[in-house]
Amino acid sequence: MRTGGAVGKVLLSIYFVLFMVFLLAPLVVLVVFAFDDSTTATLPLEGWTTHWFSEAFTNGQLTNALVRSATIAAVAAVIATVLGLMASVGLTSDRLRLRSLTVASLMLPLVVPYISLAVGLVILLQAIAVQTSLTAVVLGHVVIALPFAILVLLPRLRTLDPSMNEAARDLGAGDLTAFRLITLPLLGPALVSSFLISFVTSFDEFAIASFLAPSGQPTYPVFLYASSRTPALLPQVIAIGTLVIALSMALVLVAEGGRRWAEKRLVGDQEFDDEVSEENLAEGLVILGDS
Amino acid sequence: MSKPAGRRWRPGRGYLVLPPLLFVALLIFAPIIYIALFSVGLRSNIPGTQVAFSLDNWDSFLLGENNPFRARFFYSMRVALIVSVVTTIAAYPLAYFLSFVARQRRYTLLLLLLAPFFTSYLLRVLAWQIMLNDEGVVTWAARAVGLVPDDGNISWLIYSTFSVSLVLFYTWVPFVTLPIFAVLENMDHRLLEAAQDLGASRWTTFWRVTFPLSLPGVIAGFVFVMIPTTGEFITPLFVGGADNQLFGNSIQAFFGTTNWNLGSVLAMALIITVVILMLIFGRFLNTDLRAAPRGDET
Amino acid sequence: MNGPIENALSRRNFLGGAVMLGGATILTGCGSPAVQDTPEAGASRPPMEQEPGELSIMEWGGYEAGGTKAQAYGLVAGTDYTDKYGGNSISYTYINNDDQALQKATASNTFDLMHPCVEDLPDYVSRGLVQPFDTELLASFGELNPFLLEAGQIDGKQYMIPWDWGYGSLLYRKDLVDEADATGWELAWNEKYADKISLWGGASTNFEIAGLLLGFANIDDPSPDEIEQAKQKLIDQKPLNKFYWDNEYGQMRPAFRSGTIDIAYSWQAAYASFADKGMDVGYMEPSQGRLSWLCGFLLGSTTENYYHAHDYVESFINRKASEDLVNLYSYGAANTAIDINRIENQALVDSLKLDDPAAISSDDVHLQTWMPNSAAIDTAWQEVVAS
Repeated sequence: MRTGGAVGKVLLSIYFVLFMVFLLAPLVVLVVFAFDDSTTATLPLEGWTTHWFSEAFTNGQLTNALVRSATIAAVAAVIATVLGLMASVGLTSDRLRLRSLTVASLMLPLVVPYISLAVGLVILLQAIAVQTSLTAVVLGHVVIALPFAILVLLPRLRTLDPSMNEAARDLGAGDLTAFRLITLPLLGPALVSSFLISFVTSFDEFAIASFLAPSGQPTYPVFLYASSRTPALLPQVIAIGTLVIALSMALVLVAEGGRRWAEKRLVGDQEFDDEVSEENLAEGLVILGDS
Repeated sequence: MSKPAGRRWRPGRGYLVLPPLLFVALLIFAPIIYIALFSVGLRSNIPGTQVAFSLDNWDSFLLGENNPFRARFFYSMRVALIVSVVTTIAAYPLAYFLSFVARQRRYTLLLLLLAPFFTSYLLRVLAWQIMLNDEGVVTWAARAVGLVPDDGNISWLIYSTFSVSLVLFYTWVPFVTLPIFAVLENMDHRLLEAAQDLGASRWTTFWRVTFPLSLPGVIAGFVFVMIPTTGEFITPLFVGGADNQLFGNSIQAFFGTTNWNLGSVLAMALIITVVILMLIFGRFLNTDLRAAPRGDET
Repeated sequence: MNGPIENALSRRNFLGGAVMLGGATILTGCGSPAVQDTPEAGASRPPMEQEPGELSIMEWGGYEAGGTKAQAYGLVAGTDYTDKYGGNSISYTYINNDDQALQKATASNTFDLMHPCVEDLPDYVSRGLVQPFDTELLASFGELNPFLLEAGQIDGKQYMIPWDWGYGSLLYRKDLVDEADATGWELAWNEKYADKISLWGGASTNFEIAGLLLGFANIDDPSPDEIEQAKQKLIDQKPLNKFYWDNEYGQMRPAFRSGTIDIAYSWQAAYASFADKGMDVGYMEPSQGRLSWLCGFLLGSTTENYYHAHDYVESFINRKASEDLVNLYSYGAANTAIDINRIENQALVDSLKLDDPAAISSDDVHLQTWMPNSAAIDTAWQEVVAS
């Protein structure tokens, strides 16, 4: 396998490491200030404390916003996954008319700028005389998560070995039963991925939520923005922020670990190959890359 | 593939795309249509106003003398372009490192690179605001090494085009690495070996074989960052000053006023711009979602 | 059913021409607003125990009730309420400026209480966003200044309970700004101080300032031509700004304190606070006159917490809370029963005439009032921001 010369390798490695430091620095800064006993996030540090965390958790507004966002994200993720599954199954049919148009339409939310979409939804709401509401936020989030769900589910569907499905049919199972008993379980990890990606997309979404959420019921990102300028709330927001970061990182690691575990179970211990598993991870990441 | 004779027609699973399509129709197409209608004055958010087709707002935006919103539009395009170019250039060595240097653990390292990307975007922007602030970490460091006097600060560090660009760069580099990496991975390494066998130096091999072959991925990465950045408005809210607000901020601001018609012109202009960008660069994005099942693609 | 934005046009007819300045009434209506959907006082509503009790309030930063997490400055107002009901049941949505606040309330009319300033009161009423208070439920109502109370009335109904009043002017560093330059609003246009100035992000306020500078007859009712002139003037000023501030405590004050800006549009509280800390600051008396303002509480028309809301307001307007307001922020209070001699900074009381609410409509200041063409001003302001 061709590789660069030693100097080139070292330089590239250094570059990568430095870049990782650059990427992680702001997150580290957040973590540090979460424990800093000061009302302003400035240096020098003024002492170690965990009371920002307790302040944050007893702040009704903040916890409400978190719960609100989590609920919206969960609901939106479920709906997006279900719709994404339907779309993916539909797209595997070899007799789909207007296929390009369908695909383009389903992928459209990836392209439309969120700010334009958000104001469009506001206009739509006003046109049908509906007030801003959390339901509107959920619907908005479903539509932007849908392409991600499809991008995760469709390739997985297509690479499924059809012979199992055929075998089931030969044994007399109907379409729906075969789908339910064979395809769906095989899609398990992909369904979870789809749910997670949709959840994260919705949880962190600001544009649509800032326009569609009723003013007294902000989602977490909207609350974050408002609080970032309020000195009294900033430390608590940082504290919660570090928890969110820690959780997301953990989620990514768990997802990766879970994926490997699921593969081992599907493929059998003897056949589980680190390299192949890495390639399946690649497949997932590359789908993202290719989209 | 024809159905066995004697079975009555059942709807193929192709029809399953209808509910999702309906969803998209209602929640993407309908809003876009409304934006279009507002932009030409055919609808208004102030009931009681006479609605009539009028290109006045479009006229003043596209052709009006010194129209500030058009100027802001071009400013945003410039920022997006510069950020995209720099980001792509910075991402390439990362992708190259992953694909050619870190052979064994490349996917794990890639995941590590992407991990911050999966945390809250707003939090990362907030973190930068804290770091770049007048009393923030970077200023403190600059004072500590004597770059600025003890109570001075670096004026261009925050609320500037620099801060907006830096944060955008930071946000997008991991994501841009992906398509470049994908393309480098899929490259047939035998070609590279062949070039070397024929006597080409490593550098020449890179420039004349590797890089040209990786171009589709590079362009894909460039498009990845260019398109969302044109509509970016969150970063300027946190780290941008009055002069560095982007076009998306103008749109956002207008919908906090009563003049939704003018705001819709801006929103529509943004959508059209993005569509044009997609049409130009779309061919470089390899979304082959159309192939029939049992294909042999990735 | 008429929606919230429905009546925007009807307000154009509503205060045609009549404006304030001097005299007992601040807002004279030539005809009544098309008041929609405002419940009558005394209409049957559930008793207090059955109210949800979770208040959603639109408020300025720094005015959160004492006893809530967000209140960081020791404000006493509201403690009577939070002592009884706890601080966690209140959620605040922040006001950046009055124009945006009105838009927010119009877009989603879900607030129990709002705390805007009197210039937008006609809009709140005509859009059906608010309902009158039941003044019998407010124990301290009788102590409030009648002049200010009348300002908060429309059609004889008490829509706004006045609470705080004060001035708007340029705050500046006396040690860094030439006294000769600090004679009028033109200081903000002075290139000597480029990149050290910060005006507020409020559209109507900035147009009023430009109007004062350009000498308009009526800064609250500029003609289209005057709007264009004011816009150009503001576009000229924009490059001299470090930024337009939106948040007093989060942006303006830290920047002023650290020396990032030396001149800022400000209300007097910041001046009092910095002077107290020993900074050499001045609060300008422009030749064209300062701006003045009056703000107060509005009761949401769709509120489910009628009695709780009244209790909350009472906890702000009582004597103890009002006296603390003057002490803490050097703003004027509407409660006349406070003992002005107990205010610590008597020099400020004198210079700002904090014992006389009528000072806000005297001849040498300009009370910010309703602007008929705020829509045009909004758009023009967006052009300023974008240029």
